[in-house]
Amino acid sequence: MTLRYLLTGALLASAAVSPALAQDNTAITVVLSEELDLVEPCMATRSNIGRVILQNINETLTELDVRGDAGLMPRLAESWEDRGDGVWRFSLRDGVTFSDGTAFDAADVKHSFDRVFSDQITCESARYFADTQLTFDIVDDLTIDVTAEPAQPILPLLMSLVTIVPSETPVEFVRDPIGTGPYVLSEWQAGQYIQLDRRDDYWGEQPEVTSARYVFRGEAAVRAAMVETGEADIAPQITELEATNPATDFSYPNSETVYLRVDSADEPTSDIRVRKALNHAIDREAFIGTLLADGTELAVAMVPPTTLGWNGDLAPLAYDPDLARELLAEAEADGVDVSLPVEIIARTENFPNVTEVAEALTQMLSDAGFNASMRMVEVAEHEQYYSKPYPESEGTNLILAQHDNSRGDPVFSMYFKYHSEGTQSGIAIPEVDDLIERATAATGAERDALWSELFAYVHDEAVADVLLFHMVGHSRVGERLDFTPTIATNQQLQLSEIGFK
Amino acid sequence: MSDSTAVKPVSQDQNKGASALLGMLWRDKFAFVSAIVLLIIMAFAIFGPALLGDLATSQNLRGRNSPPFDLSRGWIFVLGGDSLGRPILARLIVAAQSTMAVAAGAVATALVIGAFFGLIAGYMGKTASQIIMRLADVIMSFPSLLLAVVVLYVLGPSIPNMILVLAITRIPIYLRTTRAEVLEVRERMFVQAAVVMGASHRRIVLRHILPVIAPTLITIATLDFAFVMLAESSLSFLGIGIQPPSITWGLMVSQGRPYLNTAWWLAFWPGLMIVITALSLNLLSNWMRVALDPAQRWRLESRKSTDA
Amino acid sequence: MIKLVGQRAIASLLSLSVLMVMVFFLSRLTGDPAALFLPIDATEQMKEQFRALHGLDRPILEQFGLYIRDVLHLDFGESLRRARPAIDIVLEAYAWTLPLALITMALVIVAAIFLGSIAAFNVGGVIDRGISVVSLIGASAPDFWIAIVAIVVFAINLAWLPTSGVGTPWHWIMPVGILFIRPFGLIVQVVRGSMLSALSAPYVKTARAKGVKNGPLIFVHTLRNAMLPVITVIGDQAAALLNGAVIVETIFGFPGVGKLMIDSILQRDFNVVMAAILVTAIAIFIMNILIDIAYSILDPRIRQ
Repeated sequence: MTLRYLLTGALLASAAVSPALAQDNTAITVVLSEELDLVEPCMATRSNIGRVILQNINETLTELDVRGDAGLMPRLAESWEDRGDGVWRFSLRDGVTFSDGTAFDAADVKHSFDRVFSDQITCESARYFADTQLTFDIVDDLTIDVTAEPAQPILPLLMSLVTIVPSETPVEFVRDPIGTGPYVLSEWQAGQYIQLDRRDDYWGEQPEVTSARYVFRGEAAVRAAMVETGEADIAPQITELEATNPATDFSYPNSETVYLRVDSADEPTSDIRVRKALNHAIDREAFIGTLLADGTELAVAMVPPTTLGWNGDLAPLAYDPDLARELLAEAEADGVDVSLPVEIIARTENFPNVTEVAEALTQMLSDAGFNASMRMVEVAEHEQYYSKPYPESEGTNLILAQHDNSRGDPVFSMYFKYHSEGTQSGIAIPEVDDLIERATAATGAERDALWSELFAYVHDEAVADVLLFHMVGHSRVGERLDFTPTIATNQQLQLSEIGFK
Repeated sequence: MSDSTAVKPVSQDQNKGASALLGMLWRDKFAFVSAIVLLIIMAFAIFGPALLGDLATSQNLRGRNSPPFDLSRGWIFVLGGDSLGRPILARLIVAAQSTMAVAAGAVATALVIGAFFGLIAGYMGKTASQIIMRLADVIMSFPSLLLAVVVLYVLGPSIPNMILVLAITRIPIYLRTTRAEVLEVRERMFVQAAVVMGASHRRIVLRHILPVIAPTLITIATLDFAFVMLAESSLSFLGIGIQPPSITWGLMVSQGRPYLNTAWWLAFWPGLMIVITALSLNLLSNWMRVALDPAQRWRLESRKSTDA
Repeated sequence: MIKLVGQRAIASLLSLSVLMVMVFFLSRLTGDPAALFLPIDATEQMKEQFRALHGLDRPILEQFGLYIRDVLHLDFGESLRRARPAIDIVLEAYAWTLPLALITMALVIVAAIFLGSIAAFNVGGVIDRGISVVSLIGASAPDFWIAIVAIVVFAINLAWLPTSGVGTPWHWIMPVGILFIRPFGLIVQVVRGSMLSALSAPYVKTARAKGVKNGPLIFVHTLRNAMLPVITVIGDQAAALLNGAVIVETIFGFPGVGKLMIDSILQRDFNVVMAAILVTAIAIFIMNILIDIAYSILDPRIRQ
């Protein structure tokens, strides 16, 4: 006991661990899985960066409600209206200041977007506006007109993806982000921690957490252990295996969808019967509660069920290896060479148990008569197989991939994954292209119906790929905190949503 | 093929009386057990894949992570089932082949190349020595991880490529050891005598120098065996090593890592196999070092009288 | 001696150049950093822009020429991922790796020489067997396995030590302890083997025959003769530590150069890879020079 006493004394004396041990205060420690390489506001849609800065340091004009069903909510914009011809008018919140003391106005909004689209830095948020030209007209300090060419019906939703920085921000990656959020970056010790402190002049309600220290550990077991020992308060991502304590551990749908991308330009998967056989060969239910956590759902679309246009009528193709063999035999009778190799290409560390999932899928395909094999590759190589142009192969490759869409609208997924021009699309079907284009341009109930129709077409008519699972994530939250993870916890962790019991 | 370093000298010594050597082995119980263990692992490596290949890959998702020492599913599950419900015992036996191929292949290649250039560097003049040693410095500071990524990205992941990566990274240790020993040995009296008597360089190196430095090289090689198996495991852990469906003990250890808290046996048994192999090799090589050295053999012979 | 070191320094500089040229071209064989930096849905236009910004669209020889020019001005380029000078990032990490490696190696050397000699003097005995078996088990057990078990035991169950991180001396105990195990196991075996050979050398036998018991003189003299291979193996193990300890760094969140190196290699952050290899190579070259000096001190007959 003496040793323990001495050690504890030494630990208390050290500044590095004191926030975690001082249980009565309102400073918290968050343990994340990967370190931030940047704290650049225009990269906030990248999950490792967004978890620290999004809405904590830098805010957006609008915000998607992921806790209730309020839809799109005001944040730095108080209201917005569609003025027709692709023009949207945003009325900005008054009395907002940046952490450097300057006032927030329409010029800051314009500069933030100019920065995103500049060719002097590579901002990740630019991708959401791929083919849309935006022009900004400052009406007055607190009113701005945004014109999209072509018209963009979900422009207000897209505004939830671009963080606002002051107009003085240089057009290069910054290390000291200035924002309107309730916290400021007060210290960044590369490799060790990032410290955020609450600011006094935030425009909104003061959050309860006064400061947050982010530390980084690659091992899920260590992250879970840190919350258990009190060295950290929240571990937003742990694995199912570590989530063993019902008092602190939560599971939540994490908006990731796992699927096998099938190239329908390749033999033998160019034949729809072969693609159906792939689907019937896989016993999806067998994965849940075994290799994948309880709560994992079978996927019938590329996006999670909370997304606009969700089609509840779709059901996965039933597990039926006999039917799969019959379909293969039929295809073979029509001259399709079903003995060609199909190789599952999976990425190491893509999601927990990815290797075992790939091994099990390979086995199931083999059992149904496919000449199946598998290959695990690292991220750079996976990217080569996943995005066009696809490498040549004897037979075909099935790409085991995970896609994340917590943004509420399928537009962020469907073009890339199913349009004939999409970079990861395995199909080129005029009907699908047409539906995607119409849905993208539509609004309201029409948009909802068109997406719904597209999901059904892709799943039932085209049998474009092998959709597998909507995944769940696990968080461990220390017992002194009041916090529940949401579908967006992968992307952001708003400190203002954390309370104390 | 797995432990040629350990077995060959025995056969070379046949004319001196293999039976005497076997007798000495029998008297050193540690070394004797080690030899038996290594023979069993050799047998696994040679016959395992043919006998148990199918059993080792038959999955059963609903029977995953079944605990060890439960015979209700048959003797093959005595060490438990892995995360896909495959019998761990069968997988251990089947994996012996590729594990041994990688470890022995990498160690033997590195040993031969390293010793060869080390002899040259130590025996030849200053210039040759400088060039070889500075090239060794280059290899020594070339990160094995980068080498692995380059080789696997350009040539593709396969067991021969893994041997290549690991062999290259292990060359400097043999090279530096050999050279350092040669520098010392060639100054000794009997070597100088041979030089004076006009023996050829080839003869001096092979008959006079190599036998003196061989014991040290063999000690390092047997130690390296475990090192290489673990390095291979680490590369798998980092996603740039051998990947399923290939199996090695190192890969099994790395795949069992997430289950350390819930199903310890997934990583434990393959880890134990690595430990046992390394331990046996080293105990046997320690024994051989004494048994094959005329100057030290008295240790074993004198123990015979104390043991008896 | 000074001349020797000078020659070695010049030769090492040449090796360093060869190394850097090899790394430059080999690393660029492994794919496109733009695809890894940008999200999977990035447009080709964004990728081209990224390549243009970082000069990755130029012919590789031109890129090489520019890199050489910058290096001669001591500019090692910016990190593609972190938008900071690559050399700063590496030196920050090395400031953690170097003490970790030195502390670990110092402990290993002292412990291995002491226990290895004891084993050699008691060859075949219980102490010898015990030291061999325990050190070999340690050396051949997977380090991440030991690390995670150590965290469970010492941080969670006993609550003696913090799980991970840096900040106090207590944080260093587990990383150093786990890094200690493998080199110790290897070196203790090499010490034992070399001591055995040295103990059976004629002059030691003579000394013993003359009645000099296992006194300090014999110990020192034998050790001196046994040290050549030991120093080589120490060098090999130290080189591994100077290259960073990826697994221990990953598990304990220790901000060293090993994790930085693997991350940069996997992300194709070439400038950081180059800078990291430069710094680690310099450390390893210096160590090799020290080792060669040690050779010639131990055995004056060895001259370059």
